[in-house]
Amino acid sequence: MKEHEIYEHDVIVVGGGLSGLRAALEAGKKGKDVAIISKVHPLRSHSVAAQGGINASLGNVPEAEDDKWEDHAFDTIKGSDYLADQDAVEVMCKEAPDVVLELEHMGTVFSRLENGKIAQRPFGGAGVPRTCYAADRTGHNLLNTLYEQTVAESLDFYNEYFVTSLAVEDQKIHGCVAWDIEKGELVGFASDVVVLATGGYGRIYNRSTNALINTGDGAYLAYEAGVPLEDMEFIQFHPTTLYGSNILMTEGARGEGGYLKNEEGERFMKDYAPEAMELAPRDIVARAIITEAEEGRAFEGEYVHLDLTHLGKEKIEKRLPGIKQIAKDFAGVDPVKEPIPVQPGQHYSMGGIDVNTDGTTKIDGLYAVGECACVSVHGANRLGGNSLLETVVFGRRAGEKIGESLKKKEKDEKLIKRTLEKDREEIDRLLNGEGDIIYSDLMEELRETMFQNFGVYREERSMEEGLKKVKELKEKYASVNVENPNEKFNTSLIRTLELKSMLEIAEVVAIGSIERKESRGSHFRRDHPERRDEEYLYHTKIEKTTEGPELYFDDVSLGRFEVKEREY
Amino acid sequence: MMFKIYRNDGREEYYKTYEVPYREGQTVLDALFHIQEKIDDSLSFRYSCRGAVCGSCAMLIEKVPRLACRTQVKKVKEQKKDIKHYKALDEGEDLSDEYILVEPLPHLDVKKDLIVDMEKFYENYEKIEPYLKPKETPEKEHLMSSDEVTELEDYTNCILCAACFGSCPVNGENEEYIGPAALAKLYRFHIDSRESESENRLKLADDENGWWDCDFHTNCKKVCPKGVPPNFAIGRARQELEEKKDDED
Repeated sequence: MKEHEIYEHDVIVVGGGLSGLRAALEAGKKGKDVAIISKVHPLRSHSVAAQGGINASLGNVPEAEDDKWEDHAFDTIKGSDYLADQDAVEVMCKEAPDVVLELEHMGTVFSRLENGKIAQRPFGGAGVPRTCYAADRTGHNLLNTLYEQTVAESLDFYNEYFVTSLAVEDQKIHGCVAWDIEKGELVGFASDVVVLATGGYGRIYNRSTNALINTGDGAYLAYEAGVPLEDMEFIQFHPTTLYGSNILMTEGARGEGGYLKNEEGERFMKDYAPEAMELAPRDIVARAIITEAEEGRAFEGEYVHLDLTHLGKEKIEKRLPGIKQIAKDFAGVDPVKEPIPVQPGQHYSMGGIDVNTDGTTKIDGLYAVGECACVSVHGANRLGGNSLLETVVFGRRAGEKIGESLKKKEKDEKLIKRTLEKDREEIDRLLNGEGDIIYSDLMEELRETMFQNFGVYREERSMEEGLKKVKELKEKYASVNVENPNEKFNTSLIRTLELKSMLEIAEVVAIGSIERKESRGSHFRRDHPERRDEEYLYHTKIEKTTEGPELYFDDVSLGRFEVKEREY
Repeated sequence: MMFKIYRNDGREEYYKTYEVPYREGQTVLDALFHIQEKIDDSLSFRYSCRGAVCGSCAMLIEKVPRLACRTQVKKVKEQKKDIKHYKALDEGEDLSDEYILVEPLPHLDVKKDLIVDMEKFYENYEKIEPYLKPKETPEKEHLMSSDEVTELEDYTNCILCAACFGSCPVNGENEEYIGPAALAKLYRFHIDSRESESENRLKLADDENGWWDCDFHTNCKKVCPKGVPPNFAIGRARQELEEKKDDED
């Protein structure tokens, strides 16, 4: 067979979003030869779509001048329904002010207060205004800043490469194999370290705010390599996504004073979270909207109104310009004059690859950071403004740790070559197969199944049915075929490879959801509406074994804050 | 709804027409996905966010460079932007009421179908040293006024989609012209009060392939999905450079 190219680097980072770039930058600064592999140009990563902001207890706003990292940690842990690891949350909240200031020093243009300091807005589940922002385009601004820094640092990029396998032997990483999307060929990467930074798996659902590329590829790669996936049943549904396209309408819109109203014109959150109202955490607001719809108080039975009209044109244009533009472009609605139709949609993956606070996994040299990882700092429900924070805090920490690691003398090319051959066979099967099923036949069914059976409200019977369906789809995947035989820019091939990750991840989400017979954070079971700390104040971990997925529970790191009922 | 789409597999280039059922709120990107998934899976195009923030899917739609994800199928025929038309936009297939015409972005080589080689565009971006070189690193944040932030936002809103590059008649004439996006980005660092090399920055493009090649057709601003005004930045930069030269004379 044809010789495949094998590239060598100390460190391979898979994914060019915020966490990947931050890890790469730090490892590069520490003298490592770093390359970033991404299936899209890094600036097209989903981090770019983050709107509302990044949390840090800077205490810039007068009413929050006494804000401390401890308060941030408390809000985060309470928001997580006490499932977050308290030591990890402590790390994140302590480092938050420093990483935000560092981004500012790197060039991010944050919105400002009158006195010139970084502005901070109220966000759901937070006691005080703590969310630093760049209008409602925070992710875009941060991603550009970090990408700019990687240009300054002259890091290597392999853009439009899709990683198909990790090369792991004896619990050690040796590199990975990737499909060069443009040329249509497989290449190997021999490295001492691989960092997975591939983002979430939101697109296993329909009605998702996520970019179309968020298909869980990194979590799948780690799972295949034997790393457990943690707390995968916790899927965040954002309460306010634009009706029709499910594009995110930032929580910042409510932070700036926006109201949620039902068909009767009522601010219905008074019935669900009388104190916090619209700024209750996302799981609570999402459930409230679904309940309003089920009880016949939603518009067309489907959506409620996010009303900003009372904020006035000036505030909307200054603080929420992106929201205004998206509402106009995608729903034909001008939020200055009329309310925005919104409904809950899948938004974030709290679970992910089991890692510790330096991003390390159980495989030597394999790291994971950002949304594909589970540290766990979000537990059962993430607070708005904590995901951008997680990417830079833990991206930087992983980069530091990698910087301290020793350079191996020789790369193991034999293993890479074997992996290349295995993946080549798989791709040949897809391109030349006899099967009569194409990816899109299965993908839509998977997404609908996940939304219907593992959505905001869950119960045993429908989840069992959902899992059965997912398994059937997995079986059908064996007969999937790519009609287009042209290897260059073969979108169908990439989508088909993504579908494989999605099916595997969906199964893990399903198993975790069924096994957790309680309601906690985003995981709400109608058949078990109570939180059951005795049995379930534990992380779920699912590992791939020769006998199939194996689930076990693991301890939550507690100790700093007492576990209590969650009220808002 | 009929779509006529430019195809190029590296061996031949041609146009192919597809019929796509219309549904409420459908964007051109939705239509491309329908074709790719249901009719012809050999069609290639770039995509990611589908919400007009990532900049992947800039292409020539009805002879106007725009993001496929932001372009509503229902409105595309009436959204005729008042831009200067010239050879690169108008060559290729003719417009018609019979179909919606989708072609790759001009001034960049086609790699396949609607996918163009962005390398030249990114190289121009890198030429202007697109990273802050701060004067100092204060203990806390640099203080900035809201007015300065507002002015900077005009330029930091750029998503580097290259719609401006593909709409600029000067880019059509001079391959070396670094183009509106790179110049806007350069100006953004020039006006940043935290920047230590503000003055030198302008000199990075003080030549016939930089500030001085612009003819102010303003297509760049008109097609920008984010309202970035490169023409304004270029005008201001030229003015400053001229004033400086006058001072030196």
